[in-house]
Amino acid sequence: MTESAPAPLDAQASGGAPPRGTRAPVGEYAFAAVCAALGVYAIIGAGFIRVPPGSASVLGPRVFPYAVGVLLVAASVAVIVQVARGRRGVPDDGEDVDPDAPTDWLTVAKLVAFFLTQLVLIEWAGWPIGVAVLFAGAAWSLGAKRWWVAVLAGLGLGLVTQLVFGAWLGLSLPAGPLLDWIPIFHG
Amino acid sequence: MDSLTALLEGFATALQPQYLLYALFGVFIGTAVGVLPGIGPAMTVALLLPLTYSLDPTGALIVFAGIYYGGMYGGSTTSILLNTPGESASIVTALEGNRMAKTGRGAAALATAAIGSFVAGTAATLALTFLAPGIARLAVQLGPADYFALIVVAFLTVGALLGSSVPRGLASLGLGLLLGLVGTEVLSGQQRYTFGVPSLADGIDVVIIAVGLFALGETLYVASRLRHGPVRVIPVTRGWRTWMSRRDWSRSWRPWLRGTAIGFPIGTIPAGGADVATFLSYATERKLARGEAKGEFGRGAIEGVAGPEAANNAAAAGVLVPLLTLGLPTTATAAIIISAFQSYGIRPGPMLFENQSGLVWALIASLYLGNVMLLVLNLPLVGMWVKVLRIPRPYLYAGILAFAGLGAYALHFNVLDTLTLLVVGVVGFLMRRYGYPVAPMVVGGILGPMAEEQLRKSMAISQGDLSYLVHSPFAIVAYSTLAVIVGLGMWLKRRKARLEASAPFPAEQPAQDAERVE
Repeated sequence: MTESAPAPLDAQASGGAPPRGTRAPVGEYAFAAVCAALGVYAIIGAGFIRVPPGSASVLGPRVFPYAVGVLLVAASVAVIVQVARGRRGVPDDGEDVDPDAPTDWLTVAKLVAFFLTQLVLIEWAGWPIGVAVLFAGAAWSLGAKRWWVAVLAGLGLGLVTQLVFGAWLGLSLPAGPLLDWIPIFHG
Repeated sequence: MDSLTALLEGFATALQPQYLLYALFGVFIGTAVGVLPGIGPAMTVALLLPLTYSLDPTGALIVFAGIYYGGMYGGSTTSILLNTPGESASIVTALEGNRMAKTGRGAAALATAAIGSFVAGTAATLALTFLAPGIARLAVQLGPADYFALIVVAFLTVGALLGSSVPRGLASLGLGLLLGLVGTEVLSGQQRYTFGVPSLADGIDVVIIAVGLFALGETLYVASRLRHGPVRVIPVTRGWRTWMSRRDWSRSWRPWLRGTAIGFPIGTIPAGGADVATFLSYATERKLARGEAKGEFGRGAIEGVAGPEAANNAAAAGVLVPLLTLGLPTTATAAIIISAFQSYGIRPGPMLFENQSGLVWALIASLYLGNVMLLVLNLPLVGMWVKVLRIPRPYLYAGILAFAGLGAYALHFNVLDTLTLLVVGVVGFLMRRYGYPVAPMVVGGILGPMAEEQLRKSMAISQGDLSYLVHSPFAIVAYSTLAVIVGLGMWLKRRKARLEASAPFPAEQPAQDAERVE
């Protein structure tokens, strides 16, 4: 879907800079550079893979990783060359995507932060609480009008998923210290 | 005749009440999630994986087949009733269907899409029934070098053909291959790229890659450029019994059949899946239109909904041919389905029809049943799908995040998986932001390990002689076909670009403007 999007679209999308060319596409270079670095890491890392002594196999465990690293480096360099020549990437379309909006990094950061709470909350406070915090936080970050609706919906979703997946389908989701004493949440 | 008996046995399994319920559940939930805006078939399948974790293999695959077909159906409802272009596979439906809805013919558009999907889905499943066993019998004779050739074909077509830029597609493929390398290597038991973390020694689950890229990455991306303000859904009037007039029927049936004929073969070859098929069908219908219909194209021609929608569903069934007979996923959705198979210890491929014939035929039978259910469900329940479309976006995407988290955590009940998911999700966000296609990464993640295994097997057989890779006629044919496919793909892509240039999307251009262009 992306190939035919008009040129001004991608210029606007990269940080809201008005016309193309007034601002270097730092993000594009950075992402391609990270990909290239991962390729280099794959190549260096391949050298450290232990080849078991006396293994008769012709192609050891290192060859394929070398090839992947080379592919990644080559493709990333090609992308960098393309960008330098003015062929920028065209951001994705979507039903809820506003093609003219600049990237809202703050919202993305908030969502990532709320997702990170799962790492602590699932095991410490239990699945329902973890979901409630993630859901309410994400909905608030995305501009939900009433925060208490988001919290209530999040709590509801947490409890329902706990019951359906934990108790009914038998996945061992931790109910958390607040709910563990209720038999139905025990699974 | 063999396959007919097997199919009947499959029906005997799939018609058991409990499996029938599973199929109904699968198509229902698949449509419901597929209708949600911003959720394509791949994301539907990835998000709903946890539902099947505790079922038996047959039940799980039946639910899965339902979700797969349901997700495809759901997408068309979204693109017809929402004002904005949607998932790639049904975007041309949005082109004509959306305009039909705007002129008060939404009901006819929905009906021709649903019935066309049913006709095409059934015909294509029929083709699958009779083609697949034969292909599987041929595939049994393939050696590791042949498989390697096939995988290389899949890599390059998916990597180079999807998305707008070849190097970006290949970089995405490389990232997927790198993720596929992480873990304990099968042949010599060495750990690679695990940083000594025990949970990484088992490798990174493809489910994490898929959910991370599709659910999390997509949500982060949409969040970064969210369209604010009220959701505009085009109202549908009229009862569902009188949806299609006699004239609508007579204008629809030929495009349905043509769409099927275009969609199924394209689905079976690795050429970008349903996406290409729908565009080709749209272009065909537009060219063949005569008289009144010709003038309607661009303002809501029913042929422009019927054909592409049929092609879309026929291609969805076509994708199952290489998936079941060769174990080759040619789309991101297919890659996720393979990973679901693998989680039950089932390896799709030529042996599947021999070793697990009961399971495969039950799956195929449930595809027929699912199609009927979808037809029955979709038309009367449109009112409900419309309500689903109105879900306020903050809650919708918050819910997607919660289910993505569930999908990752429920894999091994280890929060490290959640962390991996987040990292992959951020990568997916950046890829969308900078115009990298994500599908090659998923395909690379699942096919990478297979490619390495086949390559090393062939090298072991040939004692390191590289020419062994092209010793068999099959491999030679595969590599030459690759050249043809890449050439053909480039041609199709150019055609598609021309088509898009000549028929702008409703969202990018005000309606009056578009009409002037026509």
